[in-house]
Amino acid sequence: MSRTRKLWLGLAALLIASFGVLLWVGDQVHQYAPPLPQAVVTSGDETLFTGNDIELGKQVWQRIGGQQLGSIWGHGALLAPDWSADWLHREGVAMLELLARDEGAGSYAELDAPQQAALRSRVQRELRTNTWDPAKGTIYVSPLRAQAMLVVGAHYMSLFSNDPATAKLRETYAMRDNTIAELDQRRAVTAFFWWASWATAAERPGSAISYTQNWPHDTLAGNTPTSANFLWSVFSVLFLILGIGLLGWHHARQASHEPLPPIPARDPLTELKPTPSMKATAKYFWTVIGLFLVQILLGATTAHYQVEGQQAYGFALANYLPYALTRTWHTELAVLWIATAWLATGLYIAPLISGHEPKYQRLGVNFLWVCLLVIVVGSFAGQWMAVMDKMDLSKNFWFGHQGWEYVDLGRFWQIFLFIGLMLWLFLVGRALWPAMRGGKEGASIVGLLFLSTVAIGLLYGAGLMWGEHTHIAMVEYWRWWVVHLWVEGFFEVFATAVISYLFVRLGLLRVGTATTSVLFATIVFMAGGVLGTLHHLYFSGTTTAVIALGASFSALEVVPLALIGLEAWDTWKKQHAAPWMARYRWPIMFFVAVSFWNLVGAGLLGFLVNTPIALYFMQGLNLTAAHGHTALFGVYGMLGMGLMLFCLRGIKPQAEWREGWLKGSFWTLNLGLGLMAVLTLLPLGILQLKAVLEHGYWFARSAEFMDRPLIHMLVWMRVPGDTVFAIGAMLIAGFVASLWLWPKRQVAATPLPDAASESA
Amino acid sequence: MIEFYPQIKAVHILCVLLSGGLFALRGLMAQTRLAGVAQGAPLRLLSYTIDTVLLTAALMLVSILPGALFANGWLTVKLILLLAYVALAMLAMKRVHAPRARMIFYVAALATYAWMLGVARMHHPLGWLHGWLA
Ligand code: HEM
Ligand SMILES: [Fe+2]
Repeated sequence: MSRTRKLWLGLAALLIASFGVLLWVGDQVHQYAPPLPQAVVTSGDETLFTGNDIELGKQVWQRIGGQQLGSIWGHGALLAPDWSADWLHREGVAMLELLARDEGAGSYAELDAPQQAALRSRVQRELRTNTWDPAKGTIYVSPLRAQAMLVVGAHYMSLFSNDPATAKLRETYAMRDNTIAELDQRRAVTAFFWWASWATAAERPGSAISYTQNWPHDTLAGNTPTSANFLWSVFSVLFLILGIGLLGWHHARQASHEPLPPIPARDPLTELKPTPSMKATAKYFWTVIGLFLVQILLGATTAHYQVEGQQAYGFALANYLPYALTRTWHTELAVLWIATAWLATGLYIAPLISGHEPKYQRLGVNFLWVCLLVIVVGSFAGQWMAVMDKMDLSKNFWFGHQGWEYVDLGRFWQIFLFIGLMLWLFLVGRALWPAMRGGKEGASIVGLLFLSTVAIGLLYGAGLMWGEHTHIAMVEYWRWWVVHLWVEGFFEVFATAVISYLFVRLGLLRVGTATTSVLFATIVFMAGGVLGTLHHLYFSGTTTAVIALGASFSALEVVPLALIGLEAWDTWKKQHAAPWMARYRWPIMFFVAVSFWNLVGAGLLGFLVNTPIALYFMQGLNLTAAHGHTALFGVYGMLGMGLMLFCLRGIKPQAEWREGWLKGSFWTLNLGLGLMAVLTLLPLGILQLKAVLEHGYWFARSAEFMDRPLIHMLVWMRVPGDTVFAIGAMLIAGFVASLWLWPKRQVAATPLPDAASESA
Repeated sequence: MIEFYPQIKAVHILCVLLSGGLFALRGLMAQTRLAGVAQGAPLRLLSYTIDTVLLTAALMLVSILPGALFANGWLTVKLILLLAYVALAMLAMKRVHAPRARMIFYVAALATYAWMLGVARMHHPLGWLHGWLA
C-alpha cells in the first residue's frame, strides 16, 4: 500500500471515530441538559414563572441581540454582565439582606462575623439544593428565595426599561434606553435569566456539582472549581508536552533530504491566461476590501461604547446603532469578508488547477456574488429591525437576530447562505473535476483541497440543526460545530492545503512531498480539532465527560502550532527560490504572518484560556478577546490577504505592484494587531482575572469594576494600535484600488496575456 | 482619563528626553565612521518607537485638556518647531552629503530641540528667553 493511501485510510478512520464520539457527546448533552420546568412555584403552590415565560424570555433575549449584549454561561459579549452570574450573585445578596432584617439588623453588613457566616451558609444551601421535581415538572423555591427573586426581578425590569434610576447602569453596560419596550417581554426575560442562573448553582441530582460544573466562580453560591476540572487541566498539559515530543520525533525522522524540484526559469503562471470566470472574481476582492473597512469602523465604535455607553462624542448613537448591533456586525463581517476572500480564491484557482473553464462558469461566479450581497444587506437589515424593536417577535427567528454569536443571521438568511455555499462547492467542483479524475499526479492534494472546501460548506449546515425552541445547551453544542470545526479544523486544513498547492503550481515543491505532508498535517489537525470542540462546552450545562474529552483533545490542537516555525521557515525561504519569485514576495510574507499568529494568537493565547481550570476563571473576559482577535484576524485574516494578493497577481499579470504600499500595509497590520493585544486586551484581561479570583466572576464584569479610571484608560490605549491597524487596512485598500484606477504598467520582456480588454 | 494625567505627562517627558538624547547620539555618530550603525535598523526602530509613544502621549494630553491649544500659542509654536526639528534632523542624518552642511544641520536641530524644551517648560512661545524679554 502506498504511503498516500495509508494516510488517506488513517484520516478516514480518525474522522469516523472522532465524529462518532462527538455525536455521542451530543446525545449526552441532550440527555443531561438542565431541565426546563413547566412552572416555578413557591409555598402554597403559587406560580412565579411558567415554562412559557422562560421560553418567551429566551426569544426576547435573542431578539435584543442575545449573546451580543452581555452573556449567558460565559458565552457572548464582554460588555454588560454575564446575566446568569449577575443574577445569581444579586439573588444571593438579596437573600442575605432579607435574612439580616429577620435577625433584626438594619443590614447584613451590621452583623458580626459568625452571624454573617451562618447566613451565608443558609443562602448557599438555598441556591445549591436542587428542588426540581421531574414528576410534576416544577422547580420549588422557598418563600425567602421567592422574595429575593422579586427584588432582583424588579432591578432587571428597571434596567431594561427607560427608568432614570438605572440610567447610569445602562450607560455603563452600553444598553440603549428601553432595550425591551414591552412590559410582558421584560418580565419574561427575567424568567429566562433566573432559570439560567438557577442552573449555575443547583446541583445535579445525585452529585455535588451544579449543572454548569460550578461555573461561575462565586463563593456565596458555593461555586468553586470541581476536582475533575483541576485533574483534567493537569492531564491536558501533559498531553500537550507528549504530543509535541512525538511530533518533534516524527519531524526529525522524516527530515527530508529530498532535493528540491528543478526550479522553473520563469514564473509558470505568467503563461496562463486568466479565463473569464477567473477575471470575474475581481469584484469579490473589491468586496473583501469594502467589508474589511466597514468592519474596522464598527470595531472602533464597539470599543468606544466601552467608555461612552450610549454616545459617540455627544451624538446619541445608541438610538440608531446600539452596541448590540455594532458588535453583531463587527463579528459577522469578520467571518463574511474572510469567507468572501476564500470563496473567491476557490473560484479563481479551480480553473487554474485544471486548465478547464466549464460552460457558464462566469455566469455562476457573478450570480453567487449577487447572492452574497443580498445576504449581507438583507440579514443586516433584519438584525437592525430586530434590535431596534421594529420586528414582530414571531418573525425574529426567521428574519431578525438569532442572538447566537457568529451565527446570528435569521434562519432564512442562514438557509440562503447555506445554498450559496453549496453553489460555490458546485462551481469549484465542476472546474476542478478534470484534475481530480483518474489518479492524475497531484489528484490527492487537489482532492484534499476540495475535501476541506466541502467540509467548510457542509459544516455550516450544523447551524441549521437547532430550531426556534431548542434548549440552549443544544444550540451551543451545534453552534460550536460551526464555529470551532471551521476555525480549528477545516480552515487549518484549507490553509495548509492551499498554500502547499500554490507552491506546487509555482514549481517550488514536489507534488509527492506536498501530498504526504498535507495529508499528515490534516491528520494531526483533525486528531485534536474534532473533539477539541468540547473545550467550548465545559460550562454550558454539560457533564464531566465534556471536560475530560475537551481538555485532552484540544491540548493536542496546540501541538502542530508549537512546531509551526518549521513550516514558516520553509515558506519564508520560497521567496528567494527564484528571481521571479520576487513577484510573490508579499503574498508569501502574509503566509508567514499566518504562521506567526498561529503560534502566538491560536497557540499561546488559545492555550492560555484552554485548560478547564483556566477557562473557569477566564471565560468571557478580555483574555478571550485577545485570543479571538489575534487568532481570527492574525491567522485567517492574514491568509485572506495573502490569497487575495496571489489571485490579483494573476488577474492583473501586467500591472507593476506598488510594493511600498504593501510593505507598509503588512507591517502596520501586524504591528497594530500586536499593539491592540498588548496595550489593551491583555492588561484588561489580567486585571479582570484578578478580580474574578478575588471577588467572584460577577465582579469582573460589573459596572463597579468597568467604570474604574484605569479601565477607561486601558480602553483608550486601543487608539494608537487601532490607528496603526487602520492605516494598514487603508494602504492595502489603496493598493487594490490602484491596480484598477491608476495602474503602473510593467515593461514586459515577453508578451503577456492581454489584460486590457478584461471586464470583471 | 484625567486621573492619569500626571502619569501620561511623565511618559511624555521621559520620551522627550530619550528622543532628544538618542538623536544627539545618532547625529554625532552620523558625523563619524559610525554613520552606518546610526542608520542601522536597531537604532532606527528604537527611535521610531520612542517617537510614536511620545506623540501618542502628547495627543492624549491634548485630548484630556484641550485648553492648552488656545492658551498663549505656546503649543502651536511647539508644533511648528517640531516640524522644523524633524526636517533639520532628517537633513542632518542622511539627506545631505557634504559633512560640513550635515554638521550645521545637526547643530541647528539640537538648537531647535532646546528651544522646544524651553517652550514646553515655560509654557510660552519664547521658551527660555521668556524670562529675559518679557
Ligand atoms: C486559528 C485558529 C483559531 C481561531 C481563529 C480562534 C478563534 C476564536 C474565537 C473567535 C473565539 C471566541 C471568542 C468569543 O467568544 O468572544 C475563540 C474562543 C476560544 N478558543 Fe479559539 N481560535 C483558534 C484556535 C484555538 C486554539 C488552538 C485553542 C486552544 C487549544 C483555542 C481555544 C479557545 C477557547 C478555550 C475558547 C473559549 C473562550 C471562551 O469561551 O471565553 N482556540 N477562539
Ligand atoms: Fe475552539
